[in-house]
Amino acid sequence: MNFEPVIGLEIHVEMKTKSKMFSRAPVTFGAAPNTSVLPLDMAFPGTMPVVNKQAVINTIRVCDALHMSIDRELWFDRKNYFYSDLPKGYQITQAKRPIGSDGYLDIEVDGRTKRIEIERLHMEEDTCMQHHLSDGTLLDYNRAGIPLIEIVSRPNISSGTEAMKYVEKIRSIVQYSDVSDGKMEEGSLRCDVNISLRPYGVSKLGTKCEIKNLNSIANVEKAIEFEIARQEKLLLSGIPVEQETRRYDEMHKETVLMRKKTDAVDYKYFTEPNITPIVLSEDFIQHALETCPELADSKKARYMQTYGLSDYDANTLLLDKDVSAYFDEAMKHSPLAKLLANWISVDIAGYLNKENKTIVDFPIEPKRLAELITMIDKGDISNKQARSVFEAMLTSKDAPRVLAEKLGMTQISDTSAILKVIHEVVDANPQSVVDFKAGKDRAVGFLIGQIMKKTGGKVNPGLTSKLLIEELNKR
Amino acid sequence: MSYLDLTITDMHEALVAKKVTPLELAKEALERAKANNDNAFEGYMDEQALSIAASLKEPEVNNPFWGIPFVIKDNFATRNFPTTGSSNILKDYVPCFDATAVAKLLQAHAVPIAKSTLDELAMGGSGITGHKGPTFNPYDSKHERMIGGSSCGSAVSVAASIVPFALGSDTGDSVRKPAGYAGLVGMKPTWGRISRYGLFPFAPSLDHVGYFTRSVEDAALSLAVIAGRDLEDSTSSTRPVEDYTRLLKTDLKGIRVAVIKEIMDTITNPTVLKAFDQSIVALREAGAVVDNVHFDKRLLGTIYPTYITISCSEVTSNNANLDGIKFGPRFEGNTYQEVMFNARTAGFSELIKRRFVIGSFALMRENQDVLFLRAQKCRRKIVDTLNDILKTYDAVYLPSAPTIAPKFKDSHDQLSDEYLIADNHLAFGNFAGLPSLTLPIGFEKGMPLGANVMGRAFEEAKVFQIAQAIENKTGYRNLSAKEVRV
Repeated sequence: MNFEPVIGLEIHVEMKTKSKMFSRAPVTFGAAPNTSVLPLDMAFPGTMPVVNKQAVINTIRVCDALHMSIDRELWFDRKNYFYSDLPKGYQITQAKRPIGSDGYLDIEVDGRTKRIEIERLHMEEDTCMQHHLSDGTLLDYNRAGIPLIEIVSRPNISSGTEAMKYVEKIRSIVQYSDVSDGKMEEGSLRCDVNISLRPYGVSKLGTKCEIKNLNSIANVEKAIEFEIARQEKLLLSGIPVEQETRRYDEMHKETVLMRKKTDAVDYKYFTEPNITPIVLSEDFIQHALETCPELADSKKARYMQTYGLSDYDANTLLLDKDVSAYFDEAMKHSPLAKLLANWISVDIAGYLNKENKTIVDFPIEPKRLAELITMIDKGDISNKQARSVFEAMLTSKDAPRVLAEKLGMTQISDTSAILKVIHEVVDANPQSVVDFKAGKDRAVGFLIGQIMKKTGGKVNPGLTSKLLIEELNKR
Repeated sequence: MSYLDLTITDMHEALVAKKVTPLELAKEALERAKANNDNAFEGYMDEQALSIAASLKEPEVNNPFWGIPFVIKDNFATRNFPTTGSSNILKDYVPCFDATAVAKLLQAHAVPIAKSTLDELAMGGSGITGHKGPTFNPYDSKHERMIGGSSCGSAVSVAASIVPFALGSDTGDSVRKPAGYAGLVGMKPTWGRISRYGLFPFAPSLDHVGYFTRSVEDAALSLAVIAGRDLEDSTSSTRPVEDYTRLLKTDLKGIRVAVIKEIMDTITNPTVLKAFDQSIVALREAGAVVDNVHFDKRLLGTIYPTYITISCSEVTSNNANLDGIKFGPRFEGNTYQEVMFNARTAGFSELIKRRFVIGSFALMRENQDVLFLRAQKCRRKIVDTLNDILKTYDAVYLPSAPTIAPKFKDSHDQLSDEYLIADNHLAFGNFAGLPSLTLPIGFEKGMPLGANVMGRAFEEAKVFQIAQAIENKTGYRNLSAKEVRV
């Protein structure tokens, strides 16, 4: 390729706080339109914004995870514009003094680490949801005022894959810190891409295009790759790239023009006079960080170093925050990390795939799975039996031990009980003793078969075999 | 004399002694309000007034506001009662909540009588720009003189003895200036002392809830009722509410009062100067030290342009919600921009639109540095200078205006020193958010003259103490336009 892509990302993260950024209206998803709305959200004259403390705590956590410096004073500004997506006629944001500045995020691409620099991170309020119909536009103000975090990277991303990894990692951070659902499909994580090309070795930036409305992480990569190719083709044909806002058309797998950019709008920013600067004490920041749920990177280190899981196993568990939460919960009841990890990533994952469910809807509680694993480990049941118990657990709240008993498959691990059967069987088959002494290993197999037959297969095979050999040696 | 002519404290005594009932007071207040011809009201609250008053049976001895009729400036939201801001764009707006200041008065069992006229959306100092035309000064039966604004209707209500208390708002001097023109005590406490929740915003960094009474004691009593932390207004102070009357009987020994010489130099009216000098004698007699202090005249000259720049910038944003879609009468258009454009063109008066344009211009990217941000720097300098004076002095004391209430036909826009400084200096109390009280100190041609005491932040009790000493000397307590006519 002749050109170097220069890519910057603006990510909006919708927080899942109890109430809105500046209003006491509840944050709801999927509620009837315009029901999560208070006078403030509709800009009734005389209503005033009050900063949501939890939103600040959340933002501090994300700032920290992105290695940003955190401003010790909170300042908010008004961004003025006439449009019905915000009834006040302005949006309260942090233009002049973002809470976070100068951070970075390391991502892994093809086995090497790349540091993506982050310019700024700020809090603001979401706009209302607009449903454009052929004969008008419907406005749902439930979303208006929901706390947002905006994360602006520096333009040092060079490929669709890097962008994708960067978004993935940000999603992981906001999900693990409980800040957001982080679902691009549902709009709780939104990503705008700025992209331009320049010949390698040239320092002047080319004309950039903005891609909006990307609804999945995979599409971030695809849209960027398409856009790089599009701009490259233009440049190679001697056609200048025009400054445009484009969107990604999933069906045709291409970016399409939304509008040409004219002169940038003047938002006439000024400091929000109804919020006096809020001082963030070191204690407050410290507390926000200490109480932050564990992030994926830290969990991974724990899984590998403390639990001895492989890189692969750890990554598999951490791919989904809820899966790792399930694993963590199960670990409280059974320390058998490797076995748990296997069962989660094979048996449970298989079930969820088949049923098209997520782990949140998985019927077996982590505690119950841990019990099952413990039974396997103790040799109470075999792996094969465990799978049948697992099947039963999917439809029953009973403990695995109860279910195993109901299925009549509890193994006999009681040494004296096993010895009693061994004595009976060995006594009844003197020829086998002779064969054993003569070095015929088949005899052991035969005797075990007899023992299994007598006990209905309930004895612990490993233990039985050990005891049987001891007994034969004695004779 | 009717019980309705009394101050709050005296009316309270009469109520406690059951010489009069809240219902009798409310009925008479409504009658007087309706009989008044100064164009002071947007709406009469008969239904609320009568039902609340009728429900008040047993006097509350320790609650000075029990059964006291009051008037609300029509830029305070009142639940289920139209609140217009004296603007066509909010002509039919009915709020779904009470402003906190109103709610606190209602909780104290005061009785709301009417919503009062203001300069449109509180922008203006003349009381002539409300959507129903000019409001007149009740001291001038010929209706030639203004009462000043923007809290013009509230000032009329108290000056004409319709009620002993009225809520106002003060962004530049909108309570304290009309108070001076109407022989009233007009108070705005420290920014943050009274919640602004439910007050239609003009310029939030300068907006204050204020009020009118007819005595310093009433003013001191009232503050405790409406002050306090409000979770709906995060700029409201967390300081506990005090007994603001506690220093009223204390003399002024040890109190130092500053008079700004450069402001006095711009005042030429001999009656004003004489009355002011007499009040200084009163302060000294009460034990205060009164000194002339200096304030850079050039800096004083920036108060008005600074005020205009900041307030217009903030107001253009604050009223962006009034777009004919969410609020205001609907004017159709082909695009949403056209709908907004048409509604705002028809809904706001020329004066308001001019202010929006000034504010918008000052905020434009290419102008912010030289206009808006420069105004902020001026504001900072003025505040620093004022606070420097208040390091050594307990209060700044000045005439509230250089003249009695002007005649409508004499009102002009010429930028004389008198206009720039003497007529508009009170706004520096808004820049600094300081407690500031105007009270009557004299008369000329039967029209009242006022002076203003401005104290340190949250030292309201001391402001009342100083004002009380002046009132004791002048005897100008419970002045009413009903008795003094030209």
